[in-house]
Order: sequence, then C-alpha cells, then structure tokens
Amino acid sequence: MAVSLITYATVVFPLHGGDVRAPSAVFDQIFEVFLLLGTAVGVVVVAYTMYHALKYRDDGAGTDPYADKVERPEMGEMPTGGAGGRKVFYSFSISAIIVVSLIAWTYSQLLYIEQGPDLAQEEALEIDVEGYRFGWDFVYPNGHTTNTLYVPQDRVVRLQVTATDVFHNFGIPELRVKTDAVPGQYTSAWFTANETGTYAAKCYELCGSGHSLMTTDVVVMPQDEYEEWYAETNETDAGGNETATAAETDQRITAEATALGGAPA
Amino acid sequence: MSQEHEHGLPPKSSVSRWFLTTNHKDIGVLYLITALFFLVFGGVLALLFRLELISSGADLLGSMGYNQAVSTHGLLMVFWFISPFAFGFANYIVPLQIGADDLAFPRLNALSYWLYLFSGILMGVSFFQGTTFAGGWTMYAPLNTPAYIPGEGLGATSVVLALIMFTAAVTLGSVNFLTTMYRMRAEGLRMRDIPIFSLSINLTVWMMLFAFAALLAALMILASDHILGTTYFQYSIDGTTMATDADNPGASLLWAHLFWFFGHPEVYIVFFPALGVMAECFQTFTGRRLVGRKWFIISMVLVALQSFVVWMHHMFLTGINLPIKTIFMATTIGISLPFDLMVFSLIYTMAKGRVRFTTPFLFSLGALILFIIGGITGVFLGAIVLDYQFRGTYWVVAHFHYVMVAGATALFGGLYYWYPKITGKMYNETLGKIQFGVYFLGFNLLYFPMFIAWETPRRVFVYPDGLQIWHSMATAGGFILGASFLIMFYNLFMSLWRGEDVGPNPWEYATSAEWAVSSPPPLENFPGVPSYATGKLEFLDDETVTERTERAPGAAAHGHAATDGGTATDGGAVTARAAATATAMEPAHETAGEEHASHASFWPFLVSLGGFIAFLGLSGVRTGSVFYLSLAAVGGVATFGSLVGMTREPFHAPEMAIAERWPFERVEKMKLGMWTFLASDIVLFGAFIGSYAFVRVAYGWTAWHHDLIPAEHVTMPGLINTYLLLTSSFLVVLAMVAAERESKRGTVAALVGTFALGVGFLINKGLEWQHLFHISTEAFPNGWGLSTNIASSTFYLTTGLHGAHVTIGLIICAYMTIRAWNGAYQGDDRAIEYFGLYWHFVDIVWLFLFPLFYIL
Ligand code: HEM
Ligand SMILES: [Cu+2]
Ligand SMILES: [Cu+2]
Repeated sequence: MAVSLITYATVVFPLHGGDVRAPSAVFDQIFEVFLLLGTAVGVVVVAYTMYHALKYRDDGAGTDPYADKVERPEMGEMPTGGAGGRKVFYSFSISAIIVVSLIAWTYSQLLYIEQGPDLAQEEALEIDVEGYRFGWDFVYPNGHTTNTLYVPQDRVVRLQVTATDVFHNFGIPELRVKTDAVPGQYTSAWFTANETGTYAAKCYELCGSGHSLMTTDVVVMPQDEYEEWYAETNETDAGGNETATAAETDQRITAEATALGGAPA
Repeated sequence: MSQEHEHGLPPKSSVSRWFLTTNHKDIGVLYLITALFFLVFGGVLALLFRLELISSGADLLGSMGYNQAVSTHGLLMVFWFISPFAFGFANYIVPLQIGADDLAFPRLNALSYWLYLFSGILMGVSFFQGTTFAGGWTMYAPLNTPAYIPGEGLGATSVVLALIMFTAAVTLGSVNFLTTMYRMRAEGLRMRDIPIFSLSINLTVWMMLFAFAALLAALMILASDHILGTTYFQYSIDGTTMATDADNPGASLLWAHLFWFFGHPEVYIVFFPALGVMAECFQTFTGRRLVGRKWFIISMVLVALQSFVVWMHHMFLTGINLPIKTIFMATTIGISLPFDLMVFSLIYTMAKGRVRFTTPFLFSLGALILFIIGGITGVFLGAIVLDYQFRGTYWVVAHFHYVMVAGATALFGGLYYWYPKITGKMYNETLGKIQFGVYFLGFNLLYFPMFIAWETPRRVFVYPDGLQIWHSMATAGGFILGASFLIMFYNLFMSLWRGEDVGPNPWEYATSAEWAVSSPPPLENFPGVPSYATGKLEFLDDETVTERTERAPGAAAHGHAATDGGTATDGGAVTARAAATATAMEPAHETAGEEHASHASFWPFLVSLGGFIAFLGLSGVRTGSVFYLSLAAVGGVATFGSLVGMTREPFHAPEMAIAERWPFERVEKMKLGMWTFLASDIVLFGAFIGSYAFVRVAYGWTAWHHDLIPAEHVTMPGLINTYLLLTSSFLVVLAMVAAERESKRGTVAALVGTFALGVGFLINKGLEWQHLFHISTEAFPNGWGLSTNIASSTFYLTTGLHGAHVTIGLIICAYMTIRAWNGAYQGDDRAIEYFGLYWHFVDIVWLFLFPLFYIL
C-alpha cells in the first residue's frame, strides 16, 4: 500500500529539484569572486597607500627634497586644493568600474534567486514557517505541523515565513536560505538540498532571552523516504501533530540554557 | 581679579566654572571628557561579553545579561561615545577655524552638553531598574514594547527616555552649529573656504538635523507605547487569524523604516567628523594641500544627500519587492563611490609630501587603511544575493566595526592632534606611538577574525565549536585594544604636568586659524577681529573694524547681498551698532552698546537636571508608584522654572561686527535658528504623518475607517479648531503691525486675542477627546481611548503632539503678552515675528492633520 502510493506520487509529480541550481551554489560562486577581487583590490590599495606614506617619508634632517617642485602650505592661508586631481580621478574611475560591474554581474543572479527556478508551480513543495519565541512551526500543505523541518532531497522547497509574536529571522546557513519572519506579513524564500542529512536552522534576529538557542533541525531525506513520511502524516493527522506548545518550548529553552549555565529571565 | 578678566567666569581651577561656563572651548573639553567616560563604560560592557564569547554558552552573564550587555554596548558607543566625542572637537575647534568668538547661542550650547550628560546618567540609572534595555541597539519592534520586556520593564523605558533627551541635545546642537557657521564666518571666508574639518561638521549637522528628527519621532512613539499605552508597535493575533489579518500588521516594519531612515544617515554622521580629522591631519603631516579638495567636498555633499535614500539596504530580507530592492541596491553602490574618491584624494595628498609619522598621523593613516577594508566589505553587503546570507551575522558586525571604529581611530588621532592646542602641553610622542601599535594590533585581532567566523549569527552566545579559535582570538584582541587606552589615558594625563609647553603652533604646515592663537586660546579666541579679506588670515584692530563697518553701504538697514563668488567681500557686514543691538535668541533686554559678551549661566545645568528628574519619574509612572509620580512632578516643575529663569536672565551674545554670512545675510541669527529648528520639526511631523499612513496602508486604507473608528468621531470639532487657529495666526500678524506702529494697546490686544483663540482650540479638543474616551457603542463598548486600537493611537498621539506644540506656543504667547504690557517690542517687532514663525508653522501642520484625521 505504502509502496504503491510512493510510486504513484513519483510518477504523477516528477521531481526535478536536482537539476535546479541551488541558492547555495549561487552564493558560493558570487562570494568566491567577491573575495578574490575584494582581496586583490584591498591589497593593491593598502599597498599603494603604504607606498606613498613611506616613499614621501620625511628624512628628519629638516630638508625638503621637493622644495623646488612644490609650494608648502602656510599658516593662515585660505584653504585650497593641491595638485594631482587628475590622478585621483583616474583611480576613482577604475575603482568605480570595478564596483559597478561587479554589482551589475550579481544582478542577474539576484533575479534568479528572487524568481526561483523555472518549474511548474505545483512541483515546488510549499511549507509555511511560523516563528515564535523561541521555536519554529512548520506547516505542511496538508495541515500537518512539525517543529523539525523535513524536506525531500532534490526538490524545490518554498517557504512562506511569518512570526506570531516578535520579529525573527529564519535561516538555514548551509543551504543558504534566509528570510525575515515579520509579524503581520509573509516573506518567501526557496531552496533545494542536494545532499541528505541533518542541517541546522537558526534565528538571525534578536528576539529575547532564548534567541541564542532558537535553533532547530532540518532533515533532508531521500524522496521516497520523505513521501513515506508525508503519507503517514496524512493518515495520522487527526491527533498526531508533533508540535510543542509554547510552554514546552520555554521549558526546553530553560533546560538548555541552564545546561549552558545561564537561566533566561 | 581673574573674575573680572573672564567676564564673570570663575577660573578653570574652580569647580564652579565647569557648571557655569557657556564658552565653546570649555564645553568642548567637557564633551571630550564625558565621551571618553562613556567609551570606557561601553568598552567594559564589550569586554564582558567578549569574555562570555571565549567559549560557546552563557555561563558568565546569563542570557538576559548577555542581551543587555550587547544592546547597551551598542547604544552607548553609537550615541554616547562617538558623536559626542567628535562634537567635543567641533565645539572647541569649529569657532576657531571659522573665526567666530563662540557659537551663536552659547547658553543653548551649554544646554546641549548638560542634556547629553544627564541623558547618559539616565542610561546608567536604567541598569538599576531591574533590567535595562535588551533588544539590541536597533531596538526592533515589537520586542521593544513592554509586553516583551521581562519584569516591569522600567529600565527599558528609561533607555528610551534617555535617547529622547539625547536627541533633544543633538537637535539644539545642530541648530546652534548651523546658525554659527552661516552667520559667523570671518570676513572673506566663503562656505567652501572653511577648513575641511569644519566643513565635515557642517554636513554632519545638516544630516543630524533631519535624521535625528526621524529618530525622535520613532522614540516619542515608542515612549508613548511604553507610558501612555498607545499600540503603534504592538502586534497581537488572537490565534485564529494570521499575518495580514492581525490587528496591526504594520507594527514591526514601521519601526524598521523609521529606525533605518535615521540609522543610515547616522553611520555617516558618525563617520564624517572622522573624515574631517583625517583630512586635516593628512594635510598637516604631509605638508600638502588636500588633492582634489573641491571634489572631496562635492563627494561629501553627495553622500550627505544620498544618505537619506539608502535605508532599505538594511531591510533586504523583509519582503520588499524587486523594483524597490533594485533601487536601494543602486543607491547603496552609488553612495560608496564618492568614498572611493575621498580615499584616493587622501592617498595622493601624500605625494611629494614630507610625511612625518607623528602619533596623530599614524592614527589617521591607520584609520584610512581600516576604512578601506571596511568599505570593501560593505560592497559585499551591497550585493543583495550576498547580503541575504550576511544579514544578521558577524560579517555585518565585522564590517561596521571596521568602518565605525576606523572613524573612532581617526578621532583618537584628532585627540593627539589638538591636545597641545587644548592643554598648551605636548603629549609624550613615544608613548603615543606605542599606543598606536598596540591599538592597531588589538583592533585587527579583535575584528578581523569576525570575518572568518562570519557564519556566527550576531547577538548570540552559542556558536559551533569549529569557530571557537576565532572567537577566542577576538576576545584577546579586545583586551589588547582596551589596554592600549590605558597607555593613552596615562600619557594624556601625565602630560598635563610633565608635557613641554607649546606655543601657538607645534605642527609645521598647519594652516587653519586655531593654530594662529595661543595654546590654549584666550577666552575671546582672537587678538582682534579675524579676517580673510586679503586672502590671508589677519586680525583687525577695533579702529579698522569701525572704519570698515561705517563704510559698508546700507549695511545697517539691508545687510549686504554679497555673492558667494565674490572675493574678499564685506558681504553681510552690519554696523557695529546694529550688531550690538541684534542680540536675538538671548532675550532682548540688555542695554545696547554693552561691550562684553556673557560667558556664564547656571540655568542650562538646572534645566537639564530638572529634565533628568522628570524623565526618571516618567519611566515609572505607569506603575502608579508615588515615588515615580512625585519625581515626575518635581522634575517637571523644576524644568519649567529653570526655563523661565533662563529666559529672564540677561545674557549677552553679540553678533559679530564683520562676518561672512552668505547665504543668510538678511536673516538674523535668531530667525535662522528658528528656521533650522522648524525644519527639523517638519521632519518630526512628517515622520508622524508617515507612520500614520504606513500603518493604515498595512491595515487596509478603507477597512481602517470602517473597523477602527467610531461613528462618533465627527468632523465638526476639527473644523471649528481649524477656524480658531487660522484666526489666531492672523492676530499674530496684527500684533506685529501694532508693535511696528508702536501701539502698545494694539500689541497687547492682538496677543491676548491669539492666546484666547489658542486656549479655545485646546478646550474644544479637550471636550472632543472626553467625549470619545467615554462613548459606549456596540462596536466600542469601553470607549475609544489611546489603547483601543491602532487608529485611536495614531489619532490621539499625532494630534496630541500638535496640541503640545500649541501649548508651548501659548506659554510663549502669555510671556510675551506680559512683556508687551510692560512696554516691550514697541518699534522692534522681531521677537513677535519669531514667535509668529512658530505659530504659523503649528497652524500649517494642523491644515495637514485635519483632513488626514477627520476627513479621509
Ligand atoms: C563603502 C560603503 C558602504 C557600503 C556599501 C555599506 C553597506 C552596508 C549594508 C548593505 C549594510 C546592511 C547589512 C545588513 O544588515 O544586512 C551595512 C550595515 C552597516 N553599515 Fe555599512 N556600508 C558602507 C559604509 C559604512 C560606513 C562608512 C559606516 C559607518 C561609519 C557603516 C556602518 C554600518 C553599520 C553600523 C551597519 C550595521 C547596522 C546594524 O545592523 O546594526 N557602513 N552596510
Ligand atoms: Cu531570535
Ligand atoms: Cu546603511
């Protein structure tokens, strides 16, 4: 029975998430380029600065090697600019070109991240995420709610994120997905995970005493395992939600905090 | 004897001088010392949580302790340390650089300082009211409202009030500096000619004037949520509905917008003075003029303008739409470009120089290098795809410390640079260099590992084990950085005694006017009237001044419309006689021709003390505690009493006999002060009105009217009030006319009429509010009070703020009526005109509020 259901699911909804360029790949690529160029620019500019500072270092002998070339400022003169404006302008232009072209290059990637992969809408798995002090509820399309996020491997997952009390921010750092959880509105984000395993989801906006401990697990499962799990939530939905109440979460947080030596107020 | 010499000021060795002084140099010193105190305060907090972060977990401070330390560290450093430190220099140096003998309004300057000090004390007191504020320096809503603050939350309320007090100090300071810089420049010194440090301060105060007004709005609303129970930042859902169906879906983002609209300009407010110091030190210690000075200045102006249109780059993850994101990405990158230019300008300034590696230069050069790193990492954040992942992590923490503390680094350079000027002694150069070495090492050891450990979420005490090495390194760096200050304090303190005496100018190639006078400069600053009319600094003696002012064509009547382009103009010069009578701001009852400026007043201190007591009381009034209630009452009375005392005190701050005043030759300093103040008030009301529109749109513009506003809220009271206010504005004009015609009866009658109409406005409003509070309908069985819903909150608070403006206007009006009765203003209607400016403004604001809150 379960097996046929899974086969059915896989046949009717072919899962393409594996072909999709994951947000983490996009981030890694851009970050790498920025790090390389940023370091290069930084090293060049700092070296250039130090070169000027040292080259024109005063010899301490009280003589002025450029006395015949330049005119030194005098006490009480009206402030004016020094010569060399053209060099400033060239250097500025180079730096401006680097910066602007870098950012322009990232823009196409931004469009991709914003719009998501070009799949038929129904293929993405939609999960609602609700942040509260100090935990997360994940609401599946069938209404099933969990505190741990279970998702299938190689499938595009779309999150609709909100919060029920204060401002939080939901992020799964390894999968490079993050968005604000703003009370009163939904924000969305998507990701796909190519590797199975357990990842951490964290809160990235200070939300009170339990903020540091507001983490939870994200379990990425092979697609068939996921389908099996999901099918079961369907059957047991009536009473089987594993969500913790706020009070239970508080207890968990307090216990963890005490274990770490600090008791949240 | 010295009493005599210092015009009523006790000598510097006497404690009482420091409470009385209104002199810009004394106040500059007070700012510097106080700011350094808050540096230590904030620094100790930072060391505490850095200790906590040596390993993962909160075993030292506990989780709330950790959050409090992080939050107050940020607030103290950004508000109470870095800008006031810069303004210590601004106070001391700007008047000297531009050739003024003091700020335009010396008592207001003292008032700024004391408000700043007492706001910091209130911040300190908050630690003893249970817990202090723990919601981060960005104070996101609704975590910043009482519902989410543990215990009674009085400490958090105190912090909000302390920030309001601080903002008041900043606003007064901005008005004062702007008036000074536009009305009191030495002859021949066009705006673009003033030394680069003063220019940077000029742009800083412009940004402050508007940015802090937005912050003030945010803080006033927040304080009202805390104390009066309005619900702007409150958000609650009953469990069945979600998200946009909730009672106030705009709550969280409203704060974010208000805060960042202030917050982004704030980062330049923090950085600009540092940039000014760097440019000064580079010029002096390389012996070169700033390369591309004109472009440097244009860049700063561009940044100052653009700083108001980049704020949403702090909100890329809040679900704003793609076009807006794109615009803010573009503006963010746009604003980084002028900085590139400034950096290269500084670098090329060294070319063909005689670079001397003194301590101030080392700090300036170090600051430049740190800033380059901070700027590059800022560009990473401007790439939205990267920002999505960096948001809320140590990458942001590392970035902004590299830029902000680079700013602080330059300011420490400024401290060494101007130390000989301020004290007359030389610091120990070797110790200074050693400090720089330790400082630079500590800085990079502290902040660079944060880039490597960037995956750590900010404001948490739990992180993966693999990152421990970097966090431990950062902690070590923090202590090294802290230790470097011990060297600095030791050096600067000991040099007061052991340092060599210096003459006017210890630095070869320094050019600006502060180095042309003795160290420290005399109370009156200059040996004569400073002038750049010949293109070079000169001090004119009294005779030349009199000669020149008498020659100035039509100066007394019309000022002189000189263009900024003219060289060596005597533009805007007014005759000595006019200058002596144009006392403005400070009340007009001194006798004309009285020569000496006043330098002492005790009232600024008393006003601020009263304000402190009142605010401390306010922090606890919601508990109903008698202690807090009486504090609030006593403080309120004390503040009011001292304000009256200050107004009645004869205080003489003469306008300069000859000065460059473009573009405000025809605007007296009092009027200019009033204008600038009203400009910030416009932003304040603009932010209130914007907030109203924002929460209403988030709720649903039409549903708002339908769901939240009772039918009893009718148009009539508002309409009547519109007529009352319009008529009263007309009467103020009549009062001016009467005063010009020297009709005492007419003046008094018109003022009394204004007063009566204003009182009528308030009574009408009171009746309306009473009625609304106590309605009992099906929809609103318990009346329509401040806390009923978001619509009632916006209505009462916004029109209430306007009502408070009316009340203040009426107090001034009553005071002026009494004075008019005693014969004042006849033939000189300026004071009435200034009051009229304010009153018309209040009137115009109502013309916006009336349709918004009664018709739409
Ligand atoms: C080179 C130009 C700069 C660029 C492109 C830039 C960009 C940014 C961006 C996009 C953020 C938001 C990061 C986030 O929270 O996701 C940010 C944060 C910040 N920046 Fe910059 N920045 C620059 C220069 C500066 C300067 C000069 C200062 C101050 C002196 C500064 C101070 C800050 C601060 C304080 C924050 C963090 C606020 C907070 O969340 O607590 N930045 N910067
Ligand atoms: Cu959190
Ligand atoms: Cu910003």
